[in-house]
Amino acid sequence: MPEKRFSGLAVEAYGVSFNYGRQEVLDELLLGVPRGISFGLLGPNGAGKTTLIRLLVGLLRPKSGTIRILGQSPSPKISHLIGYMPQLHSLYAELSVIQNVEFFARIYHLADRFERDRRVEAVIKLVDMWEHRHKNIMSLSGGMKQRVSLACALVHNPPLLFLDEPTVGLDPELRVTFWDYFSTLTRQGITLIISSHTMDDAAHCDRLAFMRDGKLVAQGTPAELRQATGQPGATLEDAFLYFVRRGREKRDA
Amino acid sequence: MPSWALIIADRVMRQLIRYWRATALIILRLRDKLEPLWRTSFFTSFADEMGKRMSSRAFIIAGRVMRQLIRDRRTMALIILVPLVIASIVGVSVPDKSILDYIAPAVLALLILFFSFLLTGISVLRERTQGTMERLMASPVSRLDVVGGYLLGFLPFALLQTLIIFFYMVYVLNVNYYGELWQILVFQVIIGIGAVCLGIFCSIFARNEFQMVQFIPLIILPQVFLCGLLWSVSQMPDYLQWVAKFLPLTYGVDGVRALMLQGQALLDIGKEVSVLLAFAVGFLVLAAVTLRRGNST
Repeated sequence: MPEKRFSGLAVEAYGVSFNYGRQEVLDELLLGVPRGISFGLLGPNGAGKTTLIRLLVGLLRPKSGTIRILGQSPSPKISHLIGYMPQLHSLYAELSVIQNVEFFARIYHLADRFERDRRVEAVIKLVDMWEHRHKNIMSLSGGMKQRVSLACALVHNPPLLFLDEPTVGLDPELRVTFWDYFSTLTRQGITLIISSHTMDDAAHCDRLAFMRDGKLVAQGTPAELRQATGQPGATLEDAFLYFVRRGREKRDA
Repeated sequence: MPSWALIIADRVMRQLIRYWRATALIILRLRDKLEPLWRTSFFTSFADEMGKRMSSRAFIIAGRVMRQLIRDRRTMALIILVPLVIASIVGVSVPDKSILDYIAPAVLALLILFFSFLLTGISVLRERTQGTMERLMASPVSRLDVVGGYLLGFLPFALLQTLIIFFYMVYVLNVNYYGELWQILVFQVIIGIGAVCLGIFCSIFARNEFQMVQFIPLIILPQVFLCGLLWSVSQMPDYLQWVAKFLPLTYGVDGVRALMLQGQALLDIGKEVSVLLAFAVGFLVLAAVTLRRGNST
């Protein structure tokens, strides 16, 4: 298995900066994600989460700094090791569920028919869409599309998975279901990078990074981050506000 | 209204009704037979087979493009009906048989350019707006796979249209033709390759379908008026003749006319073929350049 070869961190970013024209989006980011965990990128809209994920996936190039994905720099050569679920549903509306998943399975060169069919069936069953597999994407609800989108990102069995706001727009019940899927995946040794702006999601992650205005303000396990506030009953929300405030004080000083 | 106008209007109407009654009868008769074929066996299994056999990624994308079109039944119906409508209008509106002979080949060239350009442009644009392009670009797919996939996916439909319009013109409208069909098809493919690549290239400049549709008057209409479809290029002012030299459709129209009317072979129209190939390669490079990884949104 390819993932056996990599030791150490799944994702590393050293001093990564990025800007769209004059607008600075990411500023000197330092990030390390251990393997086999779910890692949450938390922050409000516009904090730079999507840009960071697009940099890590290799869709964008950093203006400065280095990125290492499973020990290598991002390039098309390692794209088969990465699964990517973009923010939009990113599915072909005219095609059925199974045709969408099969298309991405083929794109990732699961050439052996038997193996491919097995994988396609496994991921569609994982997201509980097997009975709807012949339905057109057009006729599905938002939550169902989201599940198919996850299946497409998973079909080539990547050791590293980037999910850009996977739970946005889901009802509370489905949100819990999604976190069940995610814990199934981490149990299989897959590393998940999940962006979100709700602290609901944050509590489920093994490790978190708080982002604000293109900067990482804190990294750690949810418990560590809560403790750092110094208040006994602090929630993650309190922790986020605490770190944002501290970052501002540091900057002003 | 003067009486001659009434007579012409009456003639046009009668002709139109005649053609459409014939077409409608054929469609009605075929519909029952086509319906099950359409839905299940031939079309879908053809696309499935193509998809399953293809190993290279360009073929996989082509299979998907075709499947998308085939599953959208209204689009498929339009692909078949639109050439018939256009051919009918041309056939009925042109007063003189010799003028029809002159215009009919040009319509073939125009249609493949128009169809390939517009459908590719919209599809690639949708791929970008719905986010699937982003997914593709994060996968091991190369830009040439995408361009190649769209070429292989759209050209069969463009050729289907060419065949429909060709047979309709030759057998229903009695347009004279002396060339060989396969050479016309090969030539049409060369026009189509350039048009598909041009569509991909233009779609990068459009943020939505509204903008994409604006490219029709910008890219297609000048070519229609200047390519020699309606009147010969040599009758135009010098500076417009000069402009016409830079339009692919000029060579397309000349080429199809030479093949159909003068019965020339592909080798006899080497200039047209090579210029169109050069356009195709140029647009292909432009299309591949626009599909950079960072450009996916």
